Amino acid sequence: MKPEFFGILRSPVLWLALVFTAVLPLWLPSYYLHMATLALVYVGFAYAWNIVGGLTGQVSLAHSLFVGIGAMLASALLLRLGINMWVGMLIAALVSGMAGAVIAWVDYRFRLGHLSFALITLAFAEVGELVVLGWDFLGGASGLYLPKDQGNLQSFQFGGSSGYFWFLMLLAVLALGVNLAILNSPLGFFLRAIRGNEGAAQAVGVNVLRNKMLAMAISAVLCSLIGTAYARYLTFADPYLLASPNLTIEIVLLATIGGVSSAFGPLVGAGLLIPIGEMLRGHFGSMLPGLHYFIYGLLLVVVIIALPQGLAPAFSRLYRRFSN
Amino acid sequence: MDMLAQALIQGFLIGGTYGLVALGLGLIYSVSNIVSFAHGDFMSLAMYLSVSLFAAFAMDPYVSVFITFPVLALVGWGLYYFILRPVIGSNSLMIIQLTLGLTFLLQNGLLMVYGGQMLRVPSMVESKLFLMGDTVMRWPLLIAFIASLALSALLYLMLTRTDFGRQIRAVNQNPKAAALMGVNVTQVRTLVFALGIALLAVAGSLLLPGATLQPGMGLRYTVITLLILVLGGMSNFIGILLGGYIIGLSEAVGTTFLSGVSGMILPYALFIVIMLFRPAGLLGSR
Amino acid sequence: MIEIESLVAGYGQVPVLHDVSLKVAQGELVGLLGANNAGKSTLINCLSGTVRPRQGRIRFKGEDITNLAPHKIVDLGMIQVPEGRLVFPQMSIRDNLMLGGISARARKQRRQRLEQVLETFPRLQERLDQHAGTLSGGEQQMLAIGRGMMAGAEVLMLDEPSLGLSPLFVQYIFETIAKMHRMGLTILLVEQNSSLTFRHASRCYVLEQGRVAIDGPTEVVRNHPATRKAYLGM
Repeated sequence: MKPEFFGILRSPVLWLALVFTAVLPLWLPSYYLHMATLALVYVGFAYAWNIVGGLTGQVSLAHSLFVGIGAMLASALLLRLGINMWVGMLIAALVSGMAGAVIAWVDYRFRLGHLSFALITLAFAEVGELVVLGWDFLGGASGLYLPKDQGNLQSFQFGGSSGYFWFLMLLAVLALGVNLAILNSPLGFFLRAIRGNEGAAQAVGVNVLRNKMLAMAISAVLCSLIGTAYARYLTFADPYLLASPNLTIEIVLLATIGGVSSAFGPLVGAGLLIPIGEMLRGHFGSMLPGLHYFIYGLLLVVVIIALPQGLAPAFSRLYRRFSN
Repeated sequence: MDMLAQALIQGFLIGGTYGLVALGLGLIYSVSNIVSFAHGDFMSLAMYLSVSLFAAFAMDPYVSVFITFPVLALVGWGLYYFILRPVIGSNSLMIIQLTLGLTFLLQNGLLMVYGGQMLRVPSMVESKLFLMGDTVMRWPLLIAFIASLALSALLYLMLTRTDFGRQIRAVNQNPKAAALMGVNVTQVRTLVFALGIALLAVAGSLLLPGATLQPGMGLRYTVITLLILVLGGMSNFIGILLGGYIIGLSEAVGTTFLSGVSGMILPYALFIVIMLFRPAGLLGSR
Repeated sequence: MIEIESLVAGYGQVPVLHDVSLKVAQGELVGLLGANNAGKSTLINCLSGTVRPRQGRIRFKGEDITNLAPHKIVDLGMIQVPEGRLVFPQMSIRDNLMLGGISARARKQRRQRLEQVLETFPRLQERLDQHAGTLSGGEQQMLAIGRGMMAGAEVLMLDEPSLGLSPLFVQYIFETIAKMHRMGLTILLVEQNSSLTFRHASRCYVLEQGRVAIDGPTEVVRNHPATRKAYLGM
């Protein structure tokens, strides 16, 4: 996997794709720009999740908690205490990072293997949702409406949809960049060792607990940052969307369909499926609510059975076959 | 005091059914090493089937269970044989992701068929009450408790006294040795999966009277079941039943005595505290 | 009774057996010798169906059983007593024995066979309702052989029955094996302990790095210079 990650930086495809994405707001109709923005949000989520789910090989279901903190806490700090949302975003990210580290510690304390991690993180996500829904400070069940965007960048307002698109693209690229940076760092080496065999990694002196906590914290911070920006873009911090464990399941499905062991996996999974899902929702949303999620679920089952490595490696095999 | 007694009895009664649900998942885990994150959603499926049977034939949930039980057994059999079996053994992470995919399939399949509004299925005993000392109880809870206890006892007898039970325990302790004894390991795993899912039809019909249904509710049942399973030490029969009572009791006490969120969080908090002191589960020795 | 033709097998990319052929006639007691990693266990796991061979053919009473599932092979009466015993530690001795006779062919006669086993191993009778995990290594070996008897075996394949046992137990176990052989059972004995195998087997195969290095009547194999060098340290 490592050489592929090195290669990706030299690949003209990546740079072309970045430039192509960056100029999208200049010509794309607003309906499709909204789709593209959503795709960027989920690409960012999927890359952030991948640090734990892919690089460390642990299925975390806690990530809705971090997105929720980023969205709800930063919004609440602004609305209840008048704290600037840039500052709120950082405070929320800090809280998320600490929560991530604590969850990793609790899991390490229990030590039931892969299963327990998924299970314990799911329990945390469930508690997180209950807290948000029940605590008026964070908006309760009705959520928090953010003030109208007046294009004031100092108050975390990015003007029109292009502004949000570029900011969310920046965050998605940041999440991708962090993935690459980790892979080329000692941390990436340790995480691969942990993924391969935790016991063996520990035996040769890898500090398993510290590295797991670090991975979880980094992943949580990224999710939290994107969560804040996403809520601001929607001008509504909706707990049923942003703090629900279903959000994590969606992220996991997108990353897995794309392929968690491939650098392009989260990009392909979220970048492809979110627009398709949005289109389905646009056409069938009133008749068949949930159709797009149903299709994600179906696609995941098919992919795991037919292409266990995910879509991205299958695409690159196809690409190589055609270029020969 | 009355309220405490009421909460304790109610929690205890519901805990029996939780335990039964978790036993099904525990059996599956003990022979296949699978933990399904869609377990609660299969209970949703069973409950919604009862809704349809009620709508079509005015069938009481206590009667329609005789239809939903074989249907869910068949669903479980097919799911294991065609979808999970090919993946088993390759990667435990993939099984988690696969069952998460099933969660979305079921949740949104139900949403598409039944819509998002809350549904209820009336039962003839739904509103019948009885007095237990000074506390007022609902009949469905007592029925659920007795039926769950009886089924748990049957499961226990099956495990300890029958050849099928011996085969299940053998596959749990050493699948290779079991195969060398002539146990058809794949068949045992498939049947146990079917049984675990079919038990959800029973639990579903027991929990149905008085409950409101909503397509997304399965996940919360899954979480409760998983908490119980871990409390019980994953495959310890008595431990799992005990875990069911603890979660049921803490849920009832929490929602009765603590306001709002803190009440709903009580089972989770209790879970964390217990696990910090007994990481191998309530009865674990490790 | 058993015919193996040019068997090739292994785990993943690593081949363990290369072109192994072997025959066991009805009523024979055949020894299979070899150092660690020579492929002995892989060979009998192929016979039991827990390892799938890549090439070659296995026949039992003339019937091709090469890719049969383990439980079907047990049904035919070919039973393995695995290395390390593999008793079910958290089950009673009675339940362990009952499991031994779980196959369709054995189920009807379980009661009588249970009595036979307990006659052969009175020590098990005393501990019938204890967990098998509480038994000593030697007693566990008795239990493992007892399970094989419960299955109504026609062929018993014993994988390293002497492993980790005290000399007294080893002798007792081997006497039992010899007794079962006299009663008409066909036995394939996989062992590292060559002297005991030579004493009881009529023919022997020696595996070396996944190939049959030497085979023939026990006397010939015993006196073969290569055998003496490799296994007797002479």
